[in-house]
Amino acid sequence: MSLKSERRGIHVDQSELLCKKGCGYYGNPAWQGFCSKCWREEYHKARQKQIQEDWELAERLQREEEEAYASSHSTQGAQSLTFSKFEEKKTNEKTRKVITVKKFFSASSRTGTKKVLTGKLREIQDVRTPSPSINRQVSIETDRASKEFIEFLKTYQKPGQDIYKQCKIFLEAMHQKRELSIEEQSECAQDFYQNVAEKLQIRWKVSPEKVEKAMDHIEKYVMTRLYKYVFCPETTEDEKKDLVVQKRIRALHWVTPQMLCVPVNEEIPEVSEMVVKAITGIIEMDSKRVPRDKLACITQCSKHIFNAIKITKNEPASADDFLPTFIYIVLKGNPPRLQSNIQYITRFCNPSRLMTGEDGYYFTNLCCAVAFIEKLDAQSLNLSQEDFDRYMSGQTSPRKQEPENWSPDMCLGVKQMYKNLDLLSQLNERQERIVSEAKKLEKDLIDWTDGIAKEVQDIVEKYPLEIKPKNQPLAAIDSENVENDKLPPPLQPQVYAG
Amino acid sequence: MFKKNMAPRRMKQMGARSSTDGHFLQQAYIYKVVLLGGTTVGKSSIAFRYVKNDFKESMPTVGCSFFTQQVCLETATVKLEIWDTAGQEQYQSICHLYYRGAKAALLVYDITRKETFARAKLWLRELEKEFLHDEMVIILVGNKTDLADQREVTFEEAEEFAKIKSLMYMETSAKSNYQVTELFTAIAHELLKQEQQEDPGLQLRKNSCVDLQEPNGQTKKCCMS
Repeated sequence: MSLKSERRGIHVDQSELLCKKGCGYYGNPAWQGFCSKCWREEYHKARQKQIQEDWELAERLQREEEEAYASSHSTQGAQSLTFSKFEEKKTNEKTRKVITVKKFFSASSRTGTKKVLTGKLREIQDVRTPSPSINRQVSIETDRASKEFIEFLKTYQKPGQDIYKQCKIFLEAMHQKRELSIEEQSECAQDFYQNVAEKLQIRWKVSPEKVEKAMDHIEKYVMTRLYKYVFCPETTEDEKKDLVVQKRIRALHWVTPQMLCVPVNEEIPEVSEMVVKAITGIIEMDSKRVPRDKLACITQCSKHIFNAIKITKNEPASADDFLPTFIYIVLKGNPPRLQSNIQYITRFCNPSRLMTGEDGYYFTNLCCAVAFIEKLDAQSLNLSQEDFDRYMSGQTSPRKQEPENWSPDMCLGVKQMYKNLDLLSQLNERQERIVSEAKKLEKDLIDWTDGIAKEVQDIVEKYPLEIKPKNQPLAAIDSENVENDKLPPPLQPQVYAG
Repeated sequence: MFKKNMAPRRMKQMGARSSTDGHFLQQAYIYKVVLLGGTTVGKSSIAFRYVKNDFKESMPTVGCSFFTQQVCLETATVKLEIWDTAGQEQYQSICHLYYRGAKAALLVYDITRKETFARAKLWLRELEKEFLHDEMVIILVGNKTDLADQREVTFEEAEEFAKIKSLMYMETSAKSNYQVTELFTAIAHELLKQEQQEDPGLQLRKNSCVDLQEPNGQTKKCCMS
């Protein structure tokens, strides 16, 4: 057939008609020369990539747009803002789709791309690794953070714009630096904090209180975005250290408050409640993204500890009491990724916060607690080396030697178990009560029905229904009364069953 | 109120120590002061007495190990941030974490117990490992003068030691409120004096580093990282 067509002079080459992929089927210009099947495959691939890229671009555009929005002081509501963003994103998606499809077919497309594009591609590769659901979660949170940030910057007017620009430059710079060691990235972040704060104060003459507030917001915005790249990065030993600490704390499970001279009596319910709260606080630290939020968790935990000591001792606690208790709480709680968190805070928190201030003080205490746990030996627990070794190897536990001291209060888990058992028995009791009440109700109902039936029976017997022959007297009246028809019907005796 | 006062300190800590100059009318210098010494020498009591006397019943925190106190001097207002530390011997090896970034240290000992004086000397050795002499104001404090009849460390002995090591020296009593306020005022004075000595140099350095695009190497952050 092909020969024939050529001879006839139809100037369509056979190869042009076939699918570009060479699968043997015919292609279609509408599908860029692919057959339907190949086209779908190619399109899907390109589209997947496109979606990722678009997301990046949209985010960037959103940032730019929102910046412009923030600067123009327009009175438009947030709704129109998001809508225009959506529009932009949509049109952009359209145009870019064409570009990538083209790009896909030209071999040289990638080599000639600009720096920005390579950066984007790298981002996509990075983004691809986590599962989509996680990625999405992060994006939502990031989105919220940037929205709040922009809202906040609006109150700063011109300096706000400047802050925004600085943040953007910084984030992009961090992006380029992703390959560098974490120390260098940390340095970069610290320099950024310092420069922004200085600029705000010197160039924009913002009052110190406002600078502080702005710095907090900047940290939040920037670190929410950077968190996944700079928290426990693979290039460091952080994760290994986490595991070492975790194992170490686990091995030290036998340490009692008495050994550490902890002035906390957990037998007092309020105290044990405080201890639980403190443990929750320190564990919660891991779930926060912003260094400052993590610090707040530590401070919160410390406050609970102080309360626990205060209740036990009936006087305000000093550092001599606090540190041992904090160590005890860390041992008891075994907070996840302790080293990673400490390192992350140290590297990326606004440095002034760590060196001074209340948060800094408690953070230092946490560092001390961890350092102490790492170094902990027989001497620091006032034990003999023999005992210490025996406990560490798990041969004996200090508790086993004194079983008479064992009480449900000693272990949180056991305590919880007892509580649960108690609750269960209570529930059981209540259920039984409900069942018996239900039975009683059922019986009552039956009795009541019987009672009614009996009553009815009695009444019926007492006042038997007699149907009297109605004809004569009534008829006699009727015959004389002309308006008989208009009278209501005579009342009939009725039985109400209730 | 507490939060508000933290602001200038932050800026100061951002690296340029004189960032409070010129631009703001009320200067606020903020210094971290660490309390070092064995257990029951009265570290916390000194701080407690000092802060409580001025604040009456209101305490800055739940606990008594972190205090802030403002000292008004003729030339400026100085804010002291007092960090209490655990004095037990087993924590001595980790306490270096506490004095990072500290501008002053109080070496507290109990005049009725010779061994606490020895511990104070030990602390000093620790401090000397971390700090150059002019980096930190160190003050030796003999506490519990109310128990003078049980004194084991004489005033002269301690003064002699302080002289050799060129430390400041003072005796106090947290219990009878003897020289506690004076102690902190002296520290504030000394800190301010040092600040003013350093100031001219800082002033020069400052003018050359506001470029944000290229972070300036001179004003690198503190030693925490």
